[in-house]
Amino acid sequence: MTDIDPSILLVEDNEVNRDMLVRRLQRAGHHVSTVGDGEAALEAMRQQQPAVVLMDMNLPIKDGWTACQEAQQDPSLSSIPIIALTAHAMEEDKRRALEAGCSDYATKPVDFPDLLAKIAAQLDARC
Amino acid sequence: MRAADAVSQLRPRLSLRGRLYLFSGAILMLFAFNVGTSLWGSFARNESSIAYREAVTAAQLTAELEQNLQNKRQQVLVLATLRETTEEPLDAAALNQAYADLEIIAERLRQLGGFGGEDLEAYYRRLHDSVTALLGEWRQFYERYNETTQTPDIESAVSYNNTQQRLQELDQRQSFVAVQRANAIDATITLTDQITVLGFISSIAITLALVFAMIRSTNASLTRMKRGVERFGSGDLTYRIDEQRDSGEIGDLARTFNDMSTKLQTAIEEMNTARADADSANAAKSMFLANVSHELRTPLNAIIGYSEMLQDELGDGAQIDREQFHHDLATIIFSGKQLLTLINDILDLSKIETGKMQVSREIFSPAGLLVQVCDALSPLLLQNNNRLKLDIDKDSMRDMNSDRGKLQQIVTNLFSNACKFTKDGEITVSAHMSEESLIVSVADTGIGMTQAQQDRVFEAFTQAESNTGVKYGGTGLGLAIVREFCAMLGGRVALESQPDQGSNFRVTLPADPTSVPAGA
Ligand SMILES: Nc1ncnc2c1ncn2[C@@H]1O[C@H](COP(=O)(O)OP(=O)(O)OP(=O)(O)O)[C@@H](O)[C@H]1O
Ligand SMILES: [Mg+2]
Repeated sequence: MTDIDPSILLVEDNEVNRDMLVRRLQRAGHHVSTVGDGEAALEAMRQQQPAVVLMDMNLPIKDGWTACQEAQQDPSLSSIPIIALTAHAMEEDKRRALEAGCSDYATKPVDFPDLLAKIAAQLDARC
Repeated sequence: MRAADAVSQLRPRLSLRGRLYLFSGAILMLFAFNVGTSLWGSFARNESSIAYREAVTAAQLTAELEQNLQNKRQQVLVLATLRETTEEPLDAAALNQAYADLEIIAERLRQLGGFGGEDLEAYYRRLHDSVTALLGEWRQFYERYNETTQTPDIESAVSYNNTQQRLQELDQRQSFVAVQRANAIDATITLTDQITVLGFISSIAITLALVFAMIRSTNASLTRMKRGVERFGSGDLTYRIDEQRDSGEIGDLARTFNDMSTKLQTAIEEMNTARADADSANAAKSMFLANVSHELRTPLNAIIGYSEMLQDELGDGAQIDREQFHHDLATIIFSGKQLLTLINDILDLSKIETGKMQVSREIFSPAGLLVQVCDALSPLLLQNNNRLKLDIDKDSMRDMNSDRGKLQQIVTNLFSNACKFTKDGEITVSAHMSEESLIVSVADTGIGMTQAQQDRVFEAFTQAESNTGVKYGGTGLGLAIVREFCAMLGGRVALESQPDQGSNFRVTLPADPTSVPAGA
């Protein structure tokens, strides 16, 4: 159902950042839906089968790393690319995110054109 | 345990030198003992040969005396017979010869008196008496031989026989005494020989035993030392050598070693704690850096993101939603202020640490300040759906003289913590004043802390758990600043908390430090 119009799932608990990213992504022409914690993210991924997931790592209830790992183990979700979004900027944090099964990684504050390029790359890889 | 103690008490505790002295003393004594018995033995042998010689000489003398007496009697008898028949007088030479013979007999008798000792005394005396009498009679016989015409008296046979008898008795006695002496001496010789052999054998045995004991005890001491050095050397810093087991040099050595061990142990432990402290300080610093970086990036993300977005929207030339525009700018400002607070916190703490933080006092109403702060921070309540209960005891409240800005920051930090660590709960800010102090408490119904966590959260850059920063944000500076500010204002902060039951921070500050009497 999302073949022509690929959608993005944004997982972010911080309201300000969520609002800002949704608006910018929509302006860039993407369909965006949002959830605020890791548990809800897995649920939304199952139901919506988004083309790409942008996931903050510091999430309540179930943090981003755990959610990534679980998505990786679920055959119905393992093909969905996840781009990690985090304010943890150390090399170590990047490695941790990739080890958890994320396809790519973006540091806050977000370089928006760069984020759009990363999303496009993931969408291209899927087609 | 006690029995073993008793045994080790009995063990002679001698120094190494003492042991050596004792050891050589014992061997010397054994040696002297051996020399003594062997001297005694050779003395006894000597004794025996003297006694033997004496016995032989005495027997010889007795035999000679007997022979002389016999000869003389023969002569006298012959002379007497001659006198009866010829009446020829004896010339002077013959007489002199006769006297000389008698003299010789007397001499022999005297010589015989030199042998024998007490045992033979009585026998000799009797023999002496009877020989002297006999000799007297014989002398008389010679003296009268030429003088008178009548036949001179020969000695009575009784005298001679008596003498013979005495002589024989003496002779028998002599041999009896000699045999007795020989027996006694033989017994002594046998005894000394036995003692010498026994002494020699036991000397060897005792010497061997001493050498063995010496080697063993010294070896045991040295082994204890060696084991101590090895155990300590291989890292068992608490190992100590049993000092009680040895005295003297080795005991001293053990004590010295133990002293050294204790010092080394202290030094190593101090070094380890210092290193652990340094390590945990370093870990806290890197933790802090990671947290600061995270904390700076979160508001910066909003500031940059919204600004770029507004710029884009302006660039579109489309109709601008003024209300939306206003809201976005407010978000940018809020995030900027958040950033400023963080930077100020870091600056405050470094000022405190370098001793540059100043206290500026003024007269103000703490009640007013509290209402103002709670008002300003009320948006924080919404984050986790908390309710605020403000409980200010208006009757006791009055103006105070203190640093308004610092009190504001103390309450702000406590309030924002309460909002951050409490969900769907209640936050109670209460205040009252006593004679000298203002007491403010900020209580919540949130996650609370264990005792161990309470002990460390007031340290700078320290949070209750290593993942607190990830879960809740923050850099662990808020409470450090609260504690330092309280101290600077002459007050204190106390914490009561239980996991999952909530926390209660209670700040006590002097209302007017200038009016407080010294020592109160
Ligand atoms: N009201 C509270 N309930 C439960 N835990 C608390 C509370 N207040 C503080 N803590 C614990 O104490 C730690 C230190 O608090 P502090 O205010 O110094 O740092 P922070 O809030 O984590 O970061 P910052 O205040 O620098 O943004 C917190 O991380 C938290 O673990
Ligand atoms: Mg805090």
